[in-house]
Amino acid sequence: MLEFLLLLVCASILVSGVLAVCLKDVLPAMVASGLASLFAAVSFLLLAAPDVAMAEAAIGSGLATFIFLYAIRKTGNGKG
Amino acid sequence: MAEFIIQIAAILIFLAILCGVIRLVIGRTLVDRIVAIDMLTVISISLIALYAHVSGRFVYIDVALVYGLLSFLAVLAIARFLEKGL
Repeated sequence: MLEFLLLLVCASILVSGVLAVCLKDVLPAMVASGLASLFAAVSFLLLAAPDVAMAEAAIGSGLATFIFLYAIRKTGNGKG
Repeated sequence: MAEFIIQIAAILIFLAILCGVIRLVIGRTLVDRIVAIDMLTVISISLIALYAHVSGRFVYIDVALVYGLLSFLAVLAIARFLEKGL
């Protein structure tokens, strides 16, 4: 039962990573990369590493989003 | 009986993650994708809580707690950015 959930989470990491590379606009690509980080944290937890999952959730989803938003705002909203 | 309910919950979480990822892939606007990632965060928190109950290790609840706080902050930052704030 949980093996299927782990497989689905890994497939979602793959889909959101491909989406983050292939999307033309900057902000949806940032959202997709945040989703890849989210599912990476869940898969770390399903593989019995809760401290790694907590660090991934704090850095990947919390801090990286702020840094990406700050960089997008500094470079002219991704237009140039 | 409890095993049956846990299996139904796992199937529902499976279908919900599938629907959220499909919404993220075909999402026309940015707001669709932001709502999809917010929904997937809530589904992930429920998945972590279910796994904490199944595996019997209640340390995993702390990860769900930290995750709920941080995902709220991330969605709030994106929403402020769309209003030309930040």
